Amino acid sequence: MRIRTKGQGQELAMLLPALIFITALIVVPFLLSVWFSFTDQRLVPRPIPTKIIGTTNYERMFADPLFWQAIGNTVLFALIVTPVQLAMSLGAALVLNSAIPFRGFFRSVAILPLLLPMTVIVSIWAVLFRIPSGPFNAIYQWFAGSGNYVDFLGNPSTAMLAIVALSAWATFPYQMLIYLAGLQDIPQDLYEAARLDGAKSWQRFRYITWPGLRNVNIFLLIITTVGALKLFTQVDILTKGGPNGATTTIIHYLFKQGYATQKIGYASAVAVFFFLAVTAIALLQRRVLKNEGEA
Amino acid sequence: MKHALYAGVALAACAMSSHALAGQLTAWVIDGDSEKPYFTQLEESFNAEFGAGGVTVDVVPIPSYNEAIQAATLSGDLPDVIMVDGPNMASMAWTGTIQPIGAMLDPAILNDLLPAVLAQGTYGPTGEVYFVSPYDSGTILWGNRAMLEEAGVRIPTSVDDAWTRDEMAEALKKLAALPQVEWPLDVKMNYGAGEWMTYGFSPFAQSNGGDIIDRQTWTAEGTINSAANVNTLTTFQDWNKAGYIVPASAGDNKFYGEKTAALSWVGNWMWPAHREGLGDDLVLIPPPAFGDAGPISANGGWGWAVPTASTNLEDIKTFLNFAMSSDQVAAYADTTGYVPSRTSAIPMSETYGAGGAGEIFAHLAACCSVVRPVHPAYPVITNAWATAVVNVLSGDVDVKAELDRAAQTIDQDIADSDGYPPFGQ
Repeated sequence: MRIRTKGQGQELAMLLPALIFITALIVVPFLLSVWFSFTDQRLVPRPIPTKIIGTTNYERMFADPLFWQAIGNTVLFALIVTPVQLAMSLGAALVLNSAIPFRGFFRSVAILPLLLPMTVIVSIWAVLFRIPSGPFNAIYQWFAGSGNYVDFLGNPSTAMLAIVALSAWATFPYQMLIYLAGLQDIPQDLYEAARLDGAKSWQRFRYITWPGLRNVNIFLLIITTVGALKLFTQVDILTKGGPNGATTTIIHYLFKQGYATQKIGYASAVAVFFFLAVTAIALLQRRVLKNEGEA
Repeated sequence: MKHALYAGVALAACAMSSHALAGQLTAWVIDGDSEKPYFTQLEESFNAEFGAGGVTVDVVPIPSYNEAIQAATLSGDLPDVIMVDGPNMASMAWTGTIQPIGAMLDPAILNDLLPAVLAQGTYGPTGEVYFVSPYDSGTILWGNRAMLEEAGVRIPTSVDDAWTRDEMAEALKKLAALPQVEWPLDVKMNYGAGEWMTYGFSPFAQSNGGDIIDRQTWTAEGTINSAANVNTLTTFQDWNKAGYIVPASAGDNKFYGEKTAALSWVGNWMWPAHREGLGDDLVLIPPPAFGDAGPISANGGWGWAVPTASTNLEDIKTFLNFAMSSDQVAAYADTTGYVPSRTSAIPMSETYGAGGAGEIFAHLAACCSVVRPVHPAYPVITNAWATAVVNVLSGDVDVKAELDRAAQTIDQDIADSDGYPPFGQ
């Protein structure tokens, strides 16, 4: 069936359902957050009325050392987990795209982490990190001798790295599937031509595969970064932001302020800041990558 | 503007609305496994006794209880009777969600309540009772008898001969030296920075003459960060550094499962697990005296409250007095494993009566438990204290600085709310 366009009206009519939902579920709540961030709004109705308090929430936020610690932790997490995860998923995609035996089986196994809810994955990893003799520490004791152990989650210098390891493993198959689709999109005759010209496998990757994945890379870099900045579940279950704030992330900080202490106004200020920061990072990434491609 | 925030929550609650008909009561209760058989029994017994007279009750266990109560509060769909967690009572009374029930309860019941349970239900500014709980909970040192004997540690049997802080430190040192002991003391660091840290650790502060907020002036500065509290938490920090305390990452079962810990400081909800794990080796030790105030045990739990919107007060009165009768209070305790909240019900309980295995719990609930601060800022108070405790116990941080920050957080919240009038006036 062919759809004939009848000018602007029809396009608008097609956009309308999505526009209504996006407005109601994203735009309006965001504008409400902006409004609440200038008030002392609480979670539950109170006998004293909500007041407009100007920029007090923002001033307190910028004066709170834990907020800055949360920003530092979140940025650190994103900076480590994004390249690690993309390298893992690209590597896995390349392997699963080549002619290995039992390819179908390995492809199925590789996406298993995606089938588990994050809460389940985190609970399993909590057991792996157990002290003094959980599985990871059992391996450590092979090298370091019995009686030694590392409290991965209880030590400020290792807690964030532990969460990085778990997070990278838990969601890399998603990126891997997208890389796989990207690899299938690269025309095979390019590889054949390269082989005739005597290109080595590294050269084929460097001059055909990598440029061919450019758009996939841009897309994955942005969604992986944004996803990393939203880190919450792993922290809330494993460490509650501890030890001593070492794993507090912006979203966990926001959650504690909004629900544990019921300060919706303050949490809204954190949310507005977070939204602006993430938008700026995503736009910056796009711009840099686009220019790079055109250079 | 405010309504926009609640509209979604209210929509969710519409599905659960329950409108009272004369004589037909609805009570919402928590959806706990250990409580469920009791609530089934409560509904059946009440309807058998009052159904002929035209009064019946429908007792409904509600999953995600706190969220459901919040949603129904916003949409005005609360049932005739609800259950409330003790420390949240002040906040709900202050916001006008629940109404006073002291006049509905038989004076004989009120006079019979354990002092800390009555205090938990009494709203400061008016002195009225807004909440009544059929049970009390408590914390105690659970011990592994075989290990304690092997280490040559004296096992106290009553509050009067409880360990002093120094004796406990000595005991920990001896226990740590046993080959099978990894960390001698489990204080449930694995529970994380939540309510446990207030429930479980404020008794040590109180035992040493400290508190988490001044209950006259309702200011935290000078109380939560007092020298006494710094001294109390520094002891725990030292014990942690010495390797005496089970770290959070070690999991829940070092005391009752792997048996590499000799002592566990936790509430009576762990009794079944401890009994199963240790059998005859399980020994109940009174809380240590951290200071001049002697041993202090934690207190509190869920109980009955009546929403402000409830109008069917005659029938509600019938229900409350039935639910708080000695028989029902004893049944609640024996079904769930908590301490009966009425003095007259304690002898009727197999576990907590004279000679029962839990006699010490009943004694502690009557003599030595202090209610958590009854104040609308409680969510902020507990969160600030819990954060400080967890930080102090997870490394080499400055105890005073952590408590100073907690004081500032609490006082700022109270100032933001104009002191939560009529409190502090």
